[in-house]
Amino acid sequence: MNYMILLPVVLPVIVGFALLFLHEGVFRDRRGLLKVTGVSFAVSAALALYVISGAAGDRLILFRLVDDIPVYFAVDDLGRLFAGVVVAVFLLAGFFSFVYMSHEKNEKRYYSFYLITFGVLMGLCFAGNLVTLYLFYEFMTLASMPLVIHNGSKEAVMAALKYLFYSFCGAYMALFGIYFLYRYAIVFENPGDALNGTHYYEIAHMMGFVPGGSLDMAAVVESGNATLCLVAVFLMLVGFGVKAGCFPLQAWLPTAHPVAPAPASAFLSGIIVKGGILAIIRTVYYCVGVDFLRGTWVQTVWCILAVITLLMGSSLAFKEKILKKRLAYSTVSNLSYILLGLSMMNAAAFTGSLLHVVFHALIKSGLFLFAGALIFGTGRVKVKEFAGLGKKMPVLFWSYTICSLGLIGIPPTSGVISKWYLAEGCLESGIAGLSWIGPVALLASALLTAGYLLPLAVNGFLKAPLDEEALDKYREPAPCMLVPVVVLAAATLLLGVFPTPLMEFVGGIAAALK
Amino acid sequence: MILGLMLTVILLPFAGGGLLQLIKFKEKRSKQCFIFAYVLANTLLTYILLAQGPTDIIRIINFAGAKLNFSLKIDGMGIVFGGLVATLWPLATLYSFPYMEHEHNGRVHENIFYLFYTATYGVTLGIAMSGNMLTMYCFYELLTLVTVPLVMNTLTHEAVLASRKYFYYSLGGAAFAFIGLIFLIVYGDSLSFIFGGVLTPDAMRDKKDLLLFIYVLAFMGFGVKAAVCPFNSWLPQAGVAPTPVTALLHAVAVVKSGAFAIMRLTYYSFGVDFLRGTWAQYLLLCIVIFTIVYGCSMAVKETHIKRRLAFSTISNLSYILFGVLIMTPLGLVGALCHMVFHGVMKICSFFCAGAMITQAHANFVHEIDGMARRMPKIFGIYTVSALALMGVPGLCGFVSKWHLAKAAFQSGNPLAVVGVGGLLVSALLTAIYMLSIVIRAYFPGDQFDYGKLHDDIHDPDWRMLLPLFLFVGAMFVIGVHSAPLVDFFTSVAGGML
Amino acid sequence: MEFIRNFPFFSILLSLGSGVLTSIMNRKVARFWNTFVLLAVTVMSAVLFVYMLGVGEPYTFMMGHFPAPWGNEIRAGVLEAGMALFFCIVMLLSMKGGEEHIDREIEDTKANLYYIMINLLLSSLLALIYTNDLFTAYVFVEINTISACGLIMIRQSGRTIEAATRYMIMSSLGSGLLLMGLCVLYDITGHLLMSNIKQSIAYVYTQGIYNIPLVASIGMICVGLAIKSALYPFHTWLPDAYGYSTVSSAAILSSLVSKGYIFLLIKIFFRVVGFDIIVDSKIVNILFVFGLLGMIMGSVNAIMENDIRRMVAFSSVAQIGYIYMGLGLGTTFGIVASIFHVLSHASTKSLLFVAAAGLTDASGGSKRFEDLTGSGYRNPMAGIAFTMGACSMVGIPLFSGFISKLLFAEAAVQNSLSKMLPTLICLAISTVLNAIYFMKTVIRLYTPKSRNVKKTEAGEAAIVSFREHPLYNFTLILMIALNVLLGCCSQPIADWIISGINMFG
Repeated sequence: MNYMILLPVVLPVIVGFALLFLHEGVFRDRRGLLKVTGVSFAVSAALALYVISGAAGDRLILFRLVDDIPVYFAVDDLGRLFAGVVVAVFLLAGFFSFVYMSHEKNEKRYYSFYLITFGVLMGLCFAGNLVTLYLFYEFMTLASMPLVIHNGSKEAVMAALKYLFYSFCGAYMALFGIYFLYRYAIVFENPGDALNGTHYYEIAHMMGFVPGGSLDMAAVVESGNATLCLVAVFLMLVGFGVKAGCFPLQAWLPTAHPVAPAPASAFLSGIIVKGGILAIIRTVYYCVGVDFLRGTWVQTVWCILAVITLLMGSSLAFKEKILKKRLAYSTVSNLSYILLGLSMMNAAAFTGSLLHVVFHALIKSGLFLFAGALIFGTGRVKVKEFAGLGKKMPVLFWSYTICSLGLIGIPPTSGVISKWYLAEGCLESGIAGLSWIGPVALLASALLTAGYLLPLAVNGFLKAPLDEEALDKYREPAPCMLVPVVVLAAATLLLGVFPTPLMEFVGGIAAALK
Repeated sequence: MILGLMLTVILLPFAGGGLLQLIKFKEKRSKQCFIFAYVLANTLLTYILLAQGPTDIIRIINFAGAKLNFSLKIDGMGIVFGGLVATLWPLATLYSFPYMEHEHNGRVHENIFYLFYTATYGVTLGIAMSGNMLTMYCFYELLTLVTVPLVMNTLTHEAVLASRKYFYYSLGGAAFAFIGLIFLIVYGDSLSFIFGGVLTPDAMRDKKDLLLFIYVLAFMGFGVKAAVCPFNSWLPQAGVAPTPVTALLHAVAVVKSGAFAIMRLTYYSFGVDFLRGTWAQYLLLCIVIFTIVYGCSMAVKETHIKRRLAFSTISNLSYILFGVLIMTPLGLVGALCHMVFHGVMKICSFFCAGAMITQAHANFVHEIDGMARRMPKIFGIYTVSALALMGVPGLCGFVSKWHLAKAAFQSGNPLAVVGVGGLLVSALLTAIYMLSIVIRAYFPGDQFDYGKLHDDIHDPDWRMLLPLFLFVGAMFVIGVHSAPLVDFFTSVAGGML
Repeated sequence: MEFIRNFPFFSILLSLGSGVLTSIMNRKVARFWNTFVLLAVTVMSAVLFVYMLGVGEPYTFMMGHFPAPWGNEIRAGVLEAGMALFFCIVMLLSMKGGEEHIDREIEDTKANLYYIMINLLLSSLLALIYTNDLFTAYVFVEINTISACGLIMIRQSGRTIEAATRYMIMSSLGSGLLLMGLCVLYDITGHLLMSNIKQSIAYVYTQGIYNIPLVASIGMICVGLAIKSALYPFHTWLPDAYGYSTVSSAAILSSLVSKGYIFLLIKIFFRVVGFDIIVDSKIVNILFVFGLLGMIMGSVNAIMENDIRRMVAFSSVAQIGYIYMGLGLGTTFGIVASIFHVLSHASTKSLLFVAAAGLTDASGGSKRFEDLTGSGYRNPMAGIAFTMGACSMVGIPLFSGFISKLLFAEAAVQNSLSKMLPTLICLAISTVLNAIYFMKTVIRLYTPKSRNVKKTEAGEAAIVSFREHPLYNFTLILMIALNVLLGCCSQPIADWIISGINMFG
């Protein structure tokens, strides 16, 4: 059995819990804590990479959770892609927090949940069936909640509650769909694997992820439950969409993301939300199958919701004064790019979506880390207060500018590629009206993105600072904080210039779905 | 032999409680040892008895007429319920020792309390092992009688009011259940519990609507104990009782007896084949689904912790009834699952609430701000039970909800699908009312002054913690490895045991 | 064994005669004599009962060996013997349970009067049970009324005199109606002996002549007896009469006197008119409706009551409603249930009255609920007894009340839908109402506002220990035993009721 798959999931969780329960006095100073965290994270990340590389085998069946459905891990390309992004962002965010967290209380708790969240996310990426996915999806909500609430202020508590309840609301909507779909799970024959008892192995695939769908949709139609099935799938979309900040249940996102410490915001906004995306992809492309959904009202409504969210997110971001909140709204809008692409249900749009998952994760983490560095250094939070700081912190601001360009989608940064595919997919889709509304919305949103991201860069470099005297105090942040931002900016640029390996990989995933 | 054992486990708690009144114990500790000894002995005997497996119906005395007799039997359902009760009772008794030491009320008679507390054990086992409707009805009424003194225990004004209400509701409910009993006497082949029902074919053909109406009446009658809306207001009020009572009786023994009686009524007396697809099923499903959502909503509104948990119980009991009302074997599996699992989860959260009361005198949600730091174990356990109640996968609540939902969808009953929606809405509300407590305890806000908390607030002693840890362990174990239990329930629900 | 057949006659004569004898005795001797008479009659009834069970045939006993239509007949079957036995037992227990109160509450000069009344009452009850002659029945109904009046009045206070007057008026009205009914029957048939009347009526009825007078006479008899047995809404005399008289009187009045009339009515149904004709005449439906009304209204009144004795009295109204409802069902099952309820109610109500007396004693004589708070601790045996009685009234299994409820419900289910549903629903509602006022009381008894001595308006409350009142406590235990016996061994009892009814026919 390939128990190695379990390691990157379990190890950080165990270490995280151990940290949580250890007495405060165990670590004499921060360094001890940082060492433990750093080492355990490094080990976990290495294990994760090992699993991603495929050397650990590609599937693992654990105990039966409910009925015949086991906790089942399967490492496929999609999972690898997501896991890779998770590792990258967590690595940088973790690095960043070593300094950033020094001025926050309860560091131990932060790191324990940081590790736990990492483990849970690994589980989410490698989940092999819908129930396992759901299991880790719920854990993800729970594990990331303490990060939102971290500073313990009333505002943070309220935000955390909002986050929890929206997430659970979504999760339960999704659960309804899972309950429904369970009836139509097919038992897949796979006599090839002699290692596992054959019978046990077959049932392992119930509700498993198979490119193109693993459910018996013919039976759905036969039993006359097609409408109910569409409703169930739609509920799953909306439900998982909550995590992805999809209209109409997106309100938690701009509240919860900004109150977390900056590195936590970075991976909340960059990664956790992608958990929702992953779940939707798994549901639509790997369980239900797009053939069943294509051309139904579900697809249309989904598109419309995505377009609404997209424009709304951008506009709200444009209006927002506080930097982290603005970035959070931007996340709402960008996730809708991905959802819009997914809703088109064709290869080009799917490729675009996956690329945008990667790019947005990197860029948005970069932006949040930038915001964190600024806030850490200056203690200011509003966009206009950062005017003129570019001169004092050129590296940081240049990195920001590159990331912004990436998000807007200006060549040669990476964003342009994903948007290109998304637009192409929209046009190909042939859904009346939406095939051209989509690209138009994308364009409009890109303009808005430019409108809300670039002024900060422009003002930072060109405008006079608010108060000259204070300016002297500011300088480039510590390397620990600067490096992650620079790396992410560099990645934005590099992936824009040399997108081929990634595109081939993603193309492979998309092709398998056919 | 078996009969003797049956009577022993029913009567031993009474005898023990009686002896308790007579013996004068010098020390509190030796008295507690005595109580615990006979409760534990009873549990062991019950296990031995239940391990013998199903028996035939054993007739003890003839009551009146050919059908009315007093008889006991052990079958699958009885094993499930009896096993649950027998497992929880010693733990709850252990928990009650430190709790009752903390009840600083001079008027509380500890001996009387333990007399009735353990007597309830025997009566509940009697319900589990009843062989026919009449026997169960008798034990059911007896249950009301022996539990009223427990509710009244503190003898405060609220306690008296609560026990009155409990009394009226329970006896009134039994009066309606009684009508069902009468119809079974007249239109059934016998009163015995036979899987598939006992109604005669003639009666089912000629008196269909009447019998359905009576079923509804009897369901609601037994439903009073299971706190079905609109007969649920006694349950939150009965929360004035000491926590061991609220936890064990008003979350498990008493209320589950109501649910158990309904299972018997539905599957073993009227028969699901007769009921399925009728207006009675739909009507009751509507009521139950409403209760599910109603209970949770009230729980969200309530700020008294124990009452909040009581409202949560109302909602969860209706989960069980929902499973029953799906009226398929799968539905019964779901119902049995939830009966057992909810028992573990709710008793756990109630015990935590009890610990908060004894250790910190915190009765209301707003009083527990920041306490997690002082009582880490209690709040950790409470968090786990909250997650389990919400149905987070990996804990037992998920398993039972899964089975309920599965049964609902497989039954193809449109209302059942609505019911699944209700379950999920209720799960969300559960998240709200359970986690808001957790978050308050852990994150009281950055302005909170921990110095305000009393110094003597700390985790309780092992007698309270041991049961809690066992429950948490059970929640995890069942959550990840429910298969053996569920397989057993499946064979019970299939009428094989 | 022929000798045993004389027992009914002996017991009537013995009690009647001792009524006269008692007038020259002093208190102690009178009490002793009364106990002896009661015991003797009990033994005789028991022997007769056993004998009748063995024989299985009713017999007619001609007094003075004058044959009908001139002679006066006594008729005994298993049901009659059983009823007589049961009535004697309950009366004995009630007397013994209330003995201290009799001693305390009744002036010395009137003490033997009380025993006269009791003896007369016993004789009249026995006569009502055994007689086979309508006119004799009427005569003893009157004796019954008068002696009951005496029982109420013997404890002289304003309330009892007023109650006795009310009772007198209502009873006279009832007697008048009864008498008129009997006259009309006599007019139609020309007979006074029950068996003869029955034959004639059967003939008259099939002929279709005199139907209206017949129905009218049945109606008058029913209503007359209903008034006398305090069927709602003719119950207004009852709460005061039961609530303020001495406890033995209350217990005997509520559990026996009204039941005597009811038994007479049942007898008239079967032995005089014929059950089919009764059912056919729809009179039963009227009884049914009023029975249901009584079940509910009695309980509602009881809930509003603030005096334990009056509450128990109102509960009697409800229970009499049950009995009439059973009669009104118009089936043999209904009658069986009613007769069983006569037994069960008699045993329970006397228990409740006697227990209530003990509780009020422990509360300084106050009957108000506030003062009774915690009295269950002060007088443990009375508390337990009251709780048991309350359980029986509410219909908890293993007590007699459960069986009568069961029988009523079974009878109802076998009836037509139009009577079944109202019966069942009223039964359930009435159970709830019963639960409300009885359990409220029980809970109050065990709510220790003051566990110990306390002053009430009426006097000093005191702890009543178990050993101080051996007779009282022993009586209570016997009463509880009787109740549980009825509840647990109902099958043979129901069997003899059925066979007794068959013997009627």
